[in-house]
Amino acid sequence: RRHGGVCCQKKKMATISEMYDVGWEEMRDKLRKWREDNCRNSEQIVDVGEELISEHASKLGDDVWIIYEQVMIAALDCSRDDLALTCLQELRKQFPDSHRVKRLSGMRLEALERYDEANKHYEAILQDDPTNTAARKRKISILKAQGKNAEAIRELNEYLEQFVGDQEAWHELSELYINEHDYGKAAFCLEELMMTNPHNHLYCEQYAEVKYTQGGLENLELSRKYFAQALRLNNRNMRALFGLYMLAGRGTKESKCSMKAVEEMLESMQITMS
Amino acid sequence: MPIQLTSQAYCKMVLHAAKYPHSAVNGLLVAEKMKEKKKESHWEPVLCVDCVPLFHGTLALAPMLEVALTLIDTWCKENNYVIVGYYQANEHTKDSRPNQVAEKVAARISENFSEAAIVMVDNSRLRMSCFEPIVHIYDHHENKWKSREVTFDCFEDWSEAQKITSALLEGRSYESLIDFDNHLDDLRNDWTNPVINKSVLDLC
Repeated sequence: RRHGGVCCQKKKMATISEMYDVGWEEMRDKLRKWREDNCRNSEQIVDVGEELISEHASKLGDDVWIIYEQVMIAALDCSRDDLALTCLQELRKQFPDSHRVKRLSGMRLEALERYDEANKHYEAILQDDPTNTAARKRKISILKAQGKNAEAIRELNEYLEQFVGDQEAWHELSELYINEHDYGKAAFCLEELMMTNPHNHLYCEQYAEVKYTQGGLENLELSRKYFAQALRLNNRNMRALFGLYMLAGRGTKESKCSMKAVEEMLESMQITMS
Repeated sequence: MPIQLTSQAYCKMVLHAAKYPHSAVNGLLVAEKMKEKKKESHWEPVLCVDCVPLFHGTLALAPMLEVALTLIDTWCKENNYVIVGYYQANEHTKDSRPNQVAEKVAARISENFSEAAIVMVDNSRLRMSCFEPIVHIYDHHENKWKSREVTFDCFEDWSEAQKITSALLEGRSYESLIDFDNHLDDLRNDWTNPVINKSVLDLC
């Protein structure tokens, strides 16, 4: 979270509804789509959500609460603590004892880098409800934010022993391992994901990338196999296609990838570079 | 030969970092290929005329980086450019040191251009106005990457770079910045960023 003062204090010259000629229903639907797709386009969420809340809150019915939550998190991303606090206060009023809202309070403290206080919030939740996965994951996020990658990895591994089906956690762990250049363990996480999601082309393709990075004959063979699999699952996965071409050049006399092969591929796809 | 940044190179780097505030980002810096006789002068700064934003998120995987290097190499040859540097903005706000990925890519670039530099974006100072340059520049000396003092001489025209970067940040131009990852998601996305290049030109 890097913006600092970047998103604050912009004078809006026109409202979202004016600029894009949309009504409040379209704005609400857009927010829903972004929730469903788990997009992190925080500036847009803040723009649309802030207007929706301030002008049309009464029309939103029960949706308003989930929108407050969504906008609050986006506001934290944009350093809009004013907006985040407004949303949080509405949620606190409506759901005074909620763990879910307490977690949001914790997230606000994280955004303000008050990690010790945030941890206390999460520990309080876990005291009450030891199975609260959201609080555990926030604690791990704090470790990540503090640059304590080794600890984050350890905690995440422990978490996964208990919650072995949590895909988001497996994926997060694979990324942590990749950042630590521990490709073998990253591959293991992706294998878990591929087992439970055999039709997900993205996991296959990421696994292939990890294997490629590890290098060595066996790994490159696996890489080729999984790039091909990804392409079979989704023939528009360009990373998989490019991966296959990179591997096609190997095993020949050239030690580097054959540029000619890549050029031929580009020609066949009729890509022109400016 | 120290590197120098044009407004276009600098602002696209900063826009890339601004587009993905929660991720690490990286990219390549290119300069015009020098004619043979100029190579002898070691005091001429190498002018980075442009940059190519590469990836955001996980930077430590090899295959797409190799694809990018291959394709960008071809583009460089067509435009008489040479890759002279690498930039990176880390995931953590407070961490602006080059890591293993940065060193590896820079080493690769050094194979073709011996004075390759690493430019690290200082996240903690990224603001709308950015009155001071927010980069650290590292050169390779005696097997280590050492940070060099960044002065206005590191820019072709700092006040122009500052003005343009501010304007584009404020106008949220980073929303339309294309990196190589975006290109891989949809091949129609053009990583040479002609639209942003034009905006830069218009503001010059």
